[in-house]
Amino acid sequence: MATSRSDRRPSSSLRKDGTARPPFKRVLIANRGEIAVRLIRACRELDMEAVAVFSDADASAAHVRLADHAVRLGPATPAESYLRMDRIIDAALEAGCEAVHPGYGFLAERASFARAVEDAGLAFVGPTATSIDALGDKLHARRLARDVGVESVPGTLDPAPVERPDQVATIVGEAERIGFPLLVKAAAGGGGRGMRRVTTALELPAALASGSREAASAFGDGSVYLEREIRPARHVEVQLLGDASGRVVTLGERDCSLQRRHQKLVEEAPAPGLTTAQRCCVHELAVRLGTAAGLRNAATAEFLLTTDGTFYFLEVNTRLQVEHGVTELVSGVDIVREQFLLAAGRNLSPSALVAAERAAEPAGHAIEVRISAEDPAREFAPAPGRIRRWSMPSGPGVRVDTAVGAGDRVPPDYDNLIAKVMVHAGNRELAIDRLRRALDEVEVAGIQTTLPFHRFVARDATFRAAELSTGWVAEHWDGAASFRRAAAMAQRAAGLAAIGAGRDRALPGAQAGWATKAGPAEVGGAGRDGHWGRAGLDEAVDRWPR
Amino acid sequence: MTAELDPHSVRVTLAPSAATAGLDPIVVDPDSGRAADLRRIDAEHAVLLDRTPARPVGILLLPGEPAGTGRGVTRREVIVEGWRIELDVESAARAALRDRARRGRSGAGPSGPVEVRAIIPGVVLTVSVVSGDSVTAGQQLVVVEAMKMQNELNAARDGTIERVAVAPGQTIEVGDLLLVLT
Repeated sequence: MATSRSDRRPSSSLRKDGTARPPFKRVLIANRGEIAVRLIRACRELDMEAVAVFSDADASAAHVRLADHAVRLGPATPAESYLRMDRIIDAALEAGCEAVHPGYGFLAERASFARAVEDAGLAFVGPTATSIDALGDKLHARRLARDVGVESVPGTLDPAPVERPDQVATIVGEAERIGFPLLVKAAAGGGGRGMRRVTTALELPAALASGSREAASAFGDGSVYLEREIRPARHVEVQLLGDASGRVVTLGERDCSLQRRHQKLVEEAPAPGLTTAQRCCVHELAVRLGTAAGLRNAATAEFLLTTDGTFYFLEVNTRLQVEHGVTELVSGVDIVREQFLLAAGRNLSPSALVAAERAAEPAGHAIEVRISAEDPAREFAPAPGRIRRWSMPSGPGVRVDTAVGAGDRVPPDYDNLIAKVMVHAGNRELAIDRLRRALDEVEVAGIQTTLPFHRFVARDATFRAAELSTGWVAEHWDGAASFRRAAAMAQRAAGLAAIGAGRDRALPGAQAGWATKAGPAEVGGAGRDGHWGRAGLDEAVDRWPR
Repeated sequence: MTAELDPHSVRVTLAPSAATAGLDPIVVDPDSGRAADLRRIDAEHAVLLDRTPARPVGILLLPGEPAGTGRGVTRREVIVEGWRIELDVESAARAALRDRARRGRSGAGPSGPVEVRAIIPGVVLTVSVVSGDSVTAGQQLVVVEAMKMQNELNAARDGTIERVAVAPGQTIEVGDLLLVLT
């Protein structure tokens, strides 16, 4: 249970408006990367102190620099750092924290962590351990949905027997009842980990074994179950907030259909093309689930929307979502701030209640793209490395949540999300225009990112027409062809630059920045390494204007 | 052949990291009249006129790492519409000379040994084969964990495992030899 400790607060920290004091004096942020920075920002605005934790890979990371205090957890490996419950709770107690915010990923959806935090006398900023048990485990959630009359994606309700030759016939029978193709999914899972697509009964035993193995290594729980693969479908999810009085409300829904490997690439709020009746319907299903689970704090109920307009319940994420920002932009509610207030035992804020009343008739539109260190020409394979150039967009209606900059290394040990670029405008058309403009301002070098994919999305006619489905990326994106066109342009540009083309048209004053007024001696001199005109092409150097 | 080349021409070859684009090297000749296609803005920024369709494309031109990949060859990192492309630029005349010297030497054919190398950095989770195993195309060879994802590496064709160069738990970098398939 979240406990209020506002009685400890010194009167000097009373807010000017006198309506609310900071929910906590000091909070431990049990995460890294952009989400840790996002959480620290909320702490700052609430006049709370933030304590960061870090692994050796993150000793000088942004979240460490921004926090009031930082505690080392251990080596880079998550199991020895950000997954160490004992160390995190010790750090929180030693630093005098009153609450722990887990962010997303790592320990965010582990009921055992929420329970340990609560047992240590600290507030867990998220749903209670009981809610996480009831909703976070997908099998529990599917059974809960059945009990309250919410229709789940057809599939099994109990863990599948894994590596049990005697039970192969039973599970194959179940699979045939559900129908192929189907998905093996991890009960404890998320982000596509532990998930396997199975098209024939023959593949099933191996898929169960490897899915279970991956789930065990990712979540510490190898339970897997079967679920029908529904295609085509859209991924629509509903943002929920609940308070200690038992009230559960929604701030609206998001469409997150554009995915690869069952991980989201683009998210928007509201879900385009829904009627108000459809919005009300899916919001009601989500609130029913949240209420049944006794939801406190923030969670998200995910649904698949079929072409005939049916919503099938998929799962509940009992944590802050990566894509919470688009809902914040459209609803005007700071979800993280709300989380801290709720964790301190306060009721839902008046502004959240007003936003909840308007959730089915949203004004404005927001879109988020996830800039990740991945190669979109090679099936979004991880592409960690050192960032050499980093320039993010700004201007009207643009929000960027990131924790990296030029010179930073993107470590291979963690999630590869490095920035979330969000745009907000009066309607979806304008938001797409704004997204295209904003992405044209992005400049990243040193690592490959998903940027080319997002630039493509922002210009694609079917995306603009909201013809969305979870198969969209495979159907529309030809990363290899896009890369080939870019590589051909890069060859020409590099060749033309090497023969000295283009300088005469350079802007006055800019020439000095690259063209060498002196001879090769200065060209190769120290401090000029950043200049294209340097090094190598002795032949071309001779031809440059002096 | 080399005598016909303008001494100031350059040859631009995709670096191994960009080889998946499958493009042949190009030669850019100062007298080709195409020089007007590039407009330099500052030390790193330029605009290239793309021809099909005709439109200006922003280009970021950076020195590559390593700066020099060999005598007279310069590595570049070029960013085009979010894509990162590494290239090698060298004198076309020098490249042609080297090609001629190399001609006649024969490399391993497509049926020869294939060195399977890491395309992502990470940690080897499982190695499913040992030296001497016969494998069929599509068979799982190695599982590498990177960024929390388990990436299965499968045999590209039928063959025999000649050598396994990694073991579970080992950290690998891009380009590291994983195994040899014959």
